[in-house]
Amino acid sequence: MTRSRAVPSIALAAILITCVTDIVSAWSAPFGAPHSAAGMSASGLTGWIFAEQAAFYRSLSGFIRAAKEDGAAIWELFGISFIYGVFHAVGPGHGKAVISSYLVANEETWRRGLVLSFVSAAIQSVVAIIVVAIAAVLLGATAKAIGLTVHLVEIASYALVILIGLRLLYVKGRGFLIACRELTWHQVPDLAFASPPAAGSLSAATFQLSERRPGAMAVRGGQCQFDGCTAHAHGFQCHHDHEHHESAWGHAHGPEPAALAGTGGWRRGLAAVVAVGLRPCSGAIIVLIFALAQDLFWTGVGATLIMGLGTAVTVAAIATVAVSARDLASRVAKSRAGLGMLAMRAIEAGAAALIVAFGILLLAGYMASEQLWMFTR
Amino acid sequence: MIKRTCCSCVILLLLLSVNRAEAHPHVWVTFHSEVLYAADGTMTGVRHAWTFDDMFSAYALQGISHAKKGQYTREELASLAQTNVDSLKEYGYFTYARADGKKLKFSEPVDYWLEYRNAALTLHFTLPLKAAVSAKTMQIEIYDPSIFVDFEFAKDKPVSLSGASQCLLTYDLPHQPTAAEQARLSQLDAVPLDASSSYGETFANRILVKCQ
Repeated sequence: MTRSRAVPSIALAAILITCVTDIVSAWSAPFGAPHSAAGMSASGLTGWIFAEQAAFYRSLSGFIRAAKEDGAAIWELFGISFIYGVFHAVGPGHGKAVISSYLVANEETWRRGLVLSFVSAAIQSVVAIIVVAIAAVLLGATAKAIGLTVHLVEIASYALVILIGLRLLYVKGRGFLIACRELTWHQVPDLAFASPPAAGSLSAATFQLSERRPGAMAVRGGQCQFDGCTAHAHGFQCHHDHEHHESAWGHAHGPEPAALAGTGGWRRGLAAVVAVGLRPCSGAIIVLIFALAQDLFWTGVGATLIMGLGTAVTVAAIATVAVSARDLASRVAKSRAGLGMLAMRAIEAGAAALIVAFGILLLAGYMASEQLWMFTR
Repeated sequence: MIKRTCCSCVILLLLLSVNRAEAHPHVWVTFHSEVLYAADGTMTGVRHAWTFDDMFSAYALQGISHAKKGQYTREELASLAQTNVDSLKEYGYFTYARADGKKLKFSEPVDYWLEYRNAALTLHFTLPLKAAVSAKTMQIEIYDPSIFVDFEFAKDKPVSLSGASQCLLTYDLPHQPTAAEQARLSQLDAVPLDASSSYGETFANRILVKCQ
């Protein structure tokens, strides 16, 4: 392996290791080192970013007040909101890790990574606005009730992240196993296609199809097996959910990534960004309610949307880097048939496993990065 | 191409490495604390006055019914004060006390109320010690280990002493980690602290009472 090829592989390995260390440290923190020590280790660039975002956040209230007196101050407020969004998203949360892992696992293009980042940030802002509009403006709910609502939405969001991760892990795990098998039976590739155990194929069909028409599809899966379709993996594709099966099975044949980025992929991607974006940013909720208390709800809405735009810029930048690293690794993998393909499948399955791990840690509260219900629960 | 790859890798690692156990505070508290001593020279508790930042104050006040716009009476805020102290229990009231190095326990807060002034809420409450204690050195720290809440000493007269004329009161602001501390911090993953360690508190807001 030449140096230029080693670099992206090392990069990806490093990314995965960093993510895993994050998880491990998040996991061990409640039992081992006190949080304060890890938290206070912020120094240098990290410390600077955290100090800046805190300073920007605290200046928001002043700008919102100023906007009340002087209409022109609203532009300053929007400017600060944007910068705050950019800095804020560098910290934990905001789905950077989940989205990046998702993009790596799912062979998404960087363009799609950009769009998904922006959509998830937009959803995040809109959810915050909807929560405050309904709970505070319409119902006059207390902070306690709003905090509870946000907490429930959060739990739903994390549960969805886990589900999406599990689904990806299932698909990518199979891809990895098949790549393993192909590598073993490289001399007789035909055998590889005939080999997946019938039971496994059947459950695969049932699992993926149940999304649409559970009953009918399960039967179809059964028929398929009897029809002897399992003899060739492609047989599945003629029946249903074309695009999906390509990503589930097609990997075994190493198709062009472009072929995978089909139109149906948007739906999959959307599920991921909805799961991530569902959780509103606590800061946005507080800013909205503060603006509401100043009778400037719409100013708060504008600031929240612009904050989301800033968040999207950061998330998109990180997603783009993740996708580029993946693409480079993939280019290397292509030049090394067999092992290279296996490595790519392993990376994808690993990234899918990371999504599950992130989801579980978020759900368990070990990776929480902000809390809204402090003092008001 | 190698250059570009390396560059993007460095950026990515940098950004991911930020993803540690850092938290975004959305609550800022400036506090006054009064250390309470009984006539017999034993410490009995701590009386806190915590002022929340204006944005969090507005958030906490959301939906609280009040007669006059922009004004809240102590009665109107009573239920919120109750919620505050109830939810603080889970976090041990963010108050950690040691008598000559030995950890002390607090019982439930008493005498608590909220006050709204200058667009900010102030939570007043007294934390009695489970058992009054006498010690040469009393150390009280106020901080949130998870940093969801940012605690800061008030600018004027942040701490005071009640009923212990023979004792000397001092306080330390949290400091930037020194080089040695920074080195120790970087090894925390490899060499974790044991449960009895108080290392993390190095960076807390600390009140010291030394008695003869």
